[in-house]
Amino acid sequence: MSELTVHDLHAGYGGAQVLHGVSLTVGEGEICAILGPNGAGKTTLLRALSGMVKGRGSVRLDGAELLGRPPDALARLGVAHVPEGRGTFTQLTVEENLRLGAYVRRSGVEDDLERIYTYFPALKPRLRQAAGSLSGGEQQMLALGRALMLRPRLLLLDEPSLGLAPLVTRELFHIVRAVNEQERTTVVVVEQNAHLALGVAQQAHVLETGRIVLSGTAADIRADEQVAQSYLGYRV
Amino acid sequence: MAGFLQQVIVGLGTGAIYASLALALVLIYRFTGIVNFAQGELAMFSAYIAWQFTAAGVPFWLSLVLALAVSFAGGMLVERVIIRPVEGAPELTVVIVTVGLFIFVNAAAGWIWTFLIKDFPNPFPGGALHVGGLSVAFSTLGVLAVVGVVMGLLYLLFQHTKIGLGMRAVSANPDSARLVGIRVGWTLALGWGLAATVGAVSGVLVAPLLFLEPNMMGGVLIYAFAAATLGGFDSPLGAVVGGLVVGVAETLAGAYVTAIGPDLKVGVPLAIILGVLLLRPQGLFGRAVVERA
Repeated sequence: MSELTVHDLHAGYGGAQVLHGVSLTVGEGEICAILGPNGAGKTTLLRALSGMVKGRGSVRLDGAELLGRPPDALARLGVAHVPEGRGTFTQLTVEENLRLGAYVRRSGVEDDLERIYTYFPALKPRLRQAAGSLSGGEQQMLALGRALMLRPRLLLLDEPSLGLAPLVTRELFHIVRAVNEQERTTVVVVEQNAHLALGVAQQAHVLETGRIVLSGTAADIRADEQVAQSYLGYRV
Repeated sequence: MAGFLQQVIVGLGTGAIYASLALALVLIYRFTGIVNFAQGELAMFSAYIAWQFTAAGVPFWLSLVLALAVSFAGGMLVERVIIRPVEGAPELTVVIVTVGLFIFVNAAAGWIWTFLIKDFPNPFPGGALHVGGLSVAFSTLGVLAVVGVVMGLLYLLFQHTKIGLGMRAVSANPDSARLVGIRVGWTLALGWGLAATVGAVSGVLVAPLLFLEPNMMGGVLIYAFAAATLGGFDSPLGAVVGGLVVGVAETLAGAYVTAIGPDLKVGVPLAIILGVLLLRPQGLFGRAVVERA
């Protein structure tokens, strides 16, 4: 639903700079994949976008500056971040986790719960169960469901495939694609599994040591054999 | 037998008071992972505030409501001003800060109201209910009822309100709570305010029994620690059950074990703390954290 413009973003932890001037634009309703090796700064980029780490430069969502605001304020602006490790409220029930996703919203929460169950039918029989008792795949679905409960303008996904069986991962990306198509949610997804991410994204950027070293349409990047070998770790 | 049951009833009455302070301890521990050694002193201060209102001629129940409101605001203020700067510091730092708060509040009460004991009005009628051969003092019934009501209100707040859900989310995972839009800082302050209010109830219940003076909560705090340890430091229900058990155990030990008697019965909570920590560290109702990766 919204256009994201990142310009010359620098970010890091304490004295250690991780991002050195990242610029990118994600069009309204687009899925953008951020690829790259471990330690490239992919997670830090998402954290800067959701306010979890401080950044310099500019991050605008439909023109409104996001930098400098705390994560809770960004959530109220419609930025939903599924963090690395999923961020599940493990002691709370599945339903409570989902309701927390809509914490800043007032109306339509019940309808949206039903909407989440249609995307993730596996969650419905487990509503009263502690979220910590779910399997990894179910927890990832719950995390995505929780983010969708915000009705986000911008959805940030950090390594959704991490630790999941290939079949589960594919299902998850399928759902991300469906959500993006039905609700025109703008998505930034960070992934190690480049093949999967490029399968759903319109555009992609390759990040290396805090800089974007390559940008293009997902199809172009997938077609570039050299990129495939040096950054994405597989042969075409 | 009747004598024994009579002792149990007396124990439940004192246990309910321990339970109310233990409940305040558990609230803060669940939210922030802090064991607040100053909880008893804050409760004592609240009792003084209530006393001050009654001394000014305000009716008792209105004084209580006013004291609870002041305590709530005071608890939030303590979190904002004293605890916030050490948020995220090592546990020892935070513990020492609460010990410092203990000494400060104690001294402040002495400075404002002197260390001379004051007579605190008993909100409950004298006399007792006689059932069979037993008599249950109205004040015991009153204390049990108050603690029951507090427990019920907290349950409703946490399980059936949005703000309660937000509070539980903050205690479960502060980072994720931020990401869904919860103002974590204010929620923690709210937790302290709530705990101070629950503690204030306990102070007001203790004051008429022990007379009001700045050191009155010292012993009660030890029993409350025993209650919270027994029940499980992260379980409000455990705090209440633990409080009742500790109250009964203390009374029975004082009455029937001649070696202990009334003088040594303060050793009972210490024995309970030690025993629980050795046998079941998470307490009766506490959760040992078990999660799937």
